[in-house]
Amino acid sequence: MLRVDNASVFFAARDGRPVHALDRVSLEIPERGFVVALGTSGCGKSTLLNAMAGFLPLSSGSIELNGHPVTGPGAERGVVFQKDALLPWRSVAENVALGLKFAGTGRKERRERALELLRLVGLQDFADAAPYELSGGMRQRVGIARALAPDPAILLMDEPFGALDSMTREQMQELLVDVWARTGKQIFFITHSIEEALFLGTQVIVMSPRPGRIVHRYDLQFVGAFARDRDARAIKTAPQFAALREEIRAVVHQSEPTRSSVS
Amino acid sequence: MTDLAVLSLSPEADAAPLPRLVRMREFGVGKASSVRISVVTGAILIGLWWGASELHLASHLFLPTPTEVINAAISVFKDGYANASLWEHVSASVSRILVAAAIAVVLGVPIGLLMGLSRWAKGVFDAPIEFYWPLPPLAYLPLMIIWLGIGEASKITLLALAMFAPIVLSAQAGVRSVTQERVNAALSLGATRWQLMREVVLPSALPEILTGARIALGIGWGTLVAAELIAATRGIGYLIMSASQFLATDVVFVGIGIIAACAFAFSFAMRALERWLVPWKGQS
Repeated sequence: MLRVDNASVFFAARDGRPVHALDRVSLEIPERGFVVALGTSGCGKSTLLNAMAGFLPLSSGSIELNGHPVTGPGAERGVVFQKDALLPWRSVAENVALGLKFAGTGRKERRERALELLRLVGLQDFADAAPYELSGGMRQRVGIARALAPDPAILLMDEPFGALDSMTREQMQELLVDVWARTGKQIFFITHSIEEALFLGTQVIVMSPRPGRIVHRYDLQFVGAFARDRDARAIKTAPQFAALREEIRAVVHQSEPTRSSVS
Repeated sequence: MTDLAVLSLSPEADAAPLPRLVRMREFGVGKASSVRISVVTGAILIGLWWGASELHLASHLFLPTPTEVINAAISVFKDGYANASLWEHVSASVSRILVAAAIAVVLGVPIGLLMGLSRWAKGVFDAPIEFYWPLPPLAYLPLMIIWLGIGEASKITLLALAMFAPIVLSAQAGVRSVTQERVNAALSLGATRWQLMREVVLPSALPEILTGARIALGIGWGTLVAAELIAATRGIGYLIMSASQFLATDVVFVGIGIIAACAFAFSFAMRALERWLVPWKGQS
């Protein structure tokens, strides 16, 4: 379980004044939990993910993974970035196996494990391609396989499908649910698509900017239904789905401060 | 009726006119090759040279004819010049440049990487490099001779100093081109600092380093004649200087041609090395 306890982050603005980016956020991601953070730009969701990944220290509060405090980046927390951040001088399989190489795993075992993970994301035929020969969606799949390779306890995903076209995006969502169902990883996933959040999350947290904080939490069953019935259209067109989508849309727009409330 | 059918079946009538091929309007040079224009320009320049020298527009002492230069080249190739064969001159120059380049790369790449990574290293090395880098090598040539004598050491040091700065600066720029995302990705996959250097930072900086090395080699050839002014008895620079003392203009032309050919060959080799080492350059 990943536990965020009263996490606050202040950045220094250009003039040196503190900017309140994250305000006393508490959050628990249970085993097999799929938590989606939803909010407009600047609501602190990426700040929260960077703190979980260990890229950013907290101003106050704490983050623990299975009882161990998070003090820096580490292989027990896999990260999937918005831009894939693959290494162009390595083949797809070598990119996937990078974490295993860092851990000192032998060449043959690395290759086997990489092929296994590529099969999981449907890219077994592209093991020896160069990353720049792949499409955007395929590269994100490599990114997911790479993050899974060191067998992390949790997957942190920072708007991984944000740059994809909407059709590829839906395929990727379904693929991610498969990966989640099969590997049983905890996932923390950032998006600003309400529909994506509803479809993927076992829990959706709605965040609001200035200062970044959690304003609403929803527990959901749609992703469980998809993992069982595999009918995405039925889920996304169901009346409960539509009703919740409208409710959350209202919440998100309400949490967006108007100009007068800022000044 | 039948005539019409035959007509429409005949290849002439069937072949649709070639469609007009179009592409997006480009700014600047674009993708069309400029090689043909360059070849024609070269031919015109040689023609002008030939015409000017044949018509005696300039004295032969100043401007030999192309035939004279070719004859001089054949004689230098067969019998050598200034007590050494052509091969000895070329290998002396090439080995000086290669040794100096090796020294500049071995020292320059780690120092440049360090300067990109550490505030201390940048602070320490910035001042001396920024001070000496704009100086023309000829300005500190006398110091090299006073300090290191007139042997190989002073020549190679002069060349290495001239090549060192562009390599350091490019390695430093290479580190700056490493994206934070790539670094974060490697760290979250469990990379140690050393693994991060070897697997991410060095390969990311490699394209810039190779560009720097290519520029450095160009500067090296430019500095060569200066370096071989120091009491050399071998080398293409020495060949040119020695020929000029006898007003053997045709041999000077040959020497210049050899340097140009060597520099071109080096540049070509560096581009091949780039294609082999960093095929991903410009991709992704």
